[in-house]
Amino acid sequence: MTNNFTMLAQNSTFDYVRQACLAAMSIRATNKNASICLITNDPVPTKYKQLFDYVVDIPWGDHADEFDWKIHNRWKIYHAIPYDETVVIDTDMLILDDISSWFDFLRNYDLFFTSKVYTYRGEEVTSDYYRKAFTKYNLPNLYCGFHWFKKADLPHEFYKWLEMITNNWQQFYKHHAGGKVFQKTASMDVSAAITANIMDCTNLITNPNVKYPSFVHMKPRIQDWNMNIGMLWQDRVGTYLSDDLTLRIGNYTQNGIFHYTEKNFLTPRIMKIYEKHLGI
Amino acid sequence: MSKGVLLFASNNSHINYVKQAYFLAKRISKYMSLPTSVVTDVDIKEKYPDWYEVFDHVIPVTSMSSAYNNKSYHDGSLAKRVLSFNNGNRGCAYDLTPYDETLVMDTDYIISNDILNQCFAQQKDLLLYKDAVHLGQYDGTTEFKKISDTSVDFYWATVFFFRKTYLTKIFFDLVNHIKENYLHYRSVYQFSSTVYRNDFAFSIAIHIMNGYTKGTFANPLPGKKFYSIDRDILLEINDDEFTLLVEKPNHLGEYIGTKVKGSNVHIMNKFSLERVINDQ
Repeated sequence: MTNNFTMLAQNSTFDYVRQACLAAMSIRATNKNASICLITNDPVPTKYKQLFDYVVDIPWGDHADEFDWKIHNRWKIYHAIPYDETVVIDTDMLILDDISSWFDFLRNYDLFFTSKVYTYRGEEVTSDYYRKAFTKYNLPNLYCGFHWFKKADLPHEFYKWLEMITNNWQQFYKHHAGGKVFQKTASMDVSAAITANIMDCTNLITNPNVKYPSFVHMKPRIQDWNMNIGMLWQDRVGTYLSDDLTLRIGNYTQNGIFHYTEKNFLTPRIMKIYEKHLGI
Repeated sequence: MSKGVLLFASNNSHINYVKQAYFLAKRISKYMSLPTSVVTDVDIKEKYPDWYEVFDHVIPVTSMSSAYNNKSYHDGSLAKRVLSFNNGNRGCAYDLTPYDETLVMDTDYIISNDILNQCFAQQKDLLLYKDAVHLGQYDGTTEFKKISDTSVDFYWATVFFFRKTYLTKIFFDLVNHIKENYLHYRSVYQFSSTVYRNDFAFSIAIHIMNGYTKGTFANPLPGKKFYSIDRDILLEINDDEFTLLVEKPNHLGEYIGTKVKGSNVHIMNKFSLERVINDQ
């Protein structure tokens, strides 16, 4: 049985497919039993094609073609995958370890969302700086950046709701998140949380008692720093990736999944280190 | 296995650390029934004729350290002196202790109970405090939580327990290496002060021994570490009861009276501690 990973990448002014290629290299380097699917309508550079077991078109046209922030097709993941079960990750993530044991845990669930994330120092994120609506309107603290589903009734219904909410997000956000739209665009995390509330299934799709599956979330304002900080977390701590793919951020060795969030994290040097390691 | 307490005492021009050690050793005997040895560059045997009734061993060293530091010593909020602080050889505790199991204490850590005897009845080889409680309202969360805003967890080297093992030997060698290359580690661990601090060297060494992650190489000492800062004033010690003035937050030179009974307390105001010792 393979451990399946799925990503959806749509290029805009930024090359998200390239991010997906780096993520795929990180999976290949650490998870020998992995199968990787990339859902995209953009071309994959020839030398990286070998990383993916499947490259799948986004079905039913591009619902995000007018937008720079392209989340409008995320609900299609459920319908597009060639697997019976998969983990879904954001493209701006690195898989730093063999996470086979996570799959063993996840197979107990039809649908599972991470609800706890960690700082680069391995401390649980407690700040709601980016999640005020979650706190104010008591939304379940779901993170779509890493989630899991099987082809089953519950996830199917969940994704149907997600489709409806994505297509009518202002109305749903007004109704389920306090009658006020806080943001200019929809958020998959908020949409998933609203879906969980509508379906009353939070207890079935997450587990607050486990530390993993999870990821290190590098949004700067949740790193438990006291000093005023710049726009980027890289303004405060350094990135050190060794040839054996040990990633250190500041003074801390990273493990599990690293969600780097900042586009300029992906440098030619980092790509090269992974390429060299994999012989690409 | 032999067990006891090890103190380090090196006087400067205004503070008599040997007198503190003498005072503390008597209390250790009274409250913990443990022998105390002292490492010192002072000829104790000449100055304290009854030294053998107080100290188990006097361990002479020619120089406590080559790394004399200058730092500010407050005596309450409104008075301070810049004095040398000879604290550099704490990392030699492993080599200097005459005991298999050793509690090392600063001479201003005033013992008033036997809770630290529990160290000898447990299995972990290195124990020290990570958290501490101020007797007033001093907010040490920034200063004593991490060694810098972006760096590693802060551990107190004020009092610690170790058992002689292969791993603790490596740990103390590492502390000495960090001391010898302190400016390098200052840069890597992003703190600004050039004054050598045992707390920082221990914190960095623990982080490295944990493989640059959060880990369990060091474990917590039993009980809570209470402390008063040097801006507070110790007025009296009557058996196990301390009377202090603790500075009001944001009110320079204004104090609140407080008493604490039956707890070990770290008294950072060395001048007021010496006055109290002289009054005993």
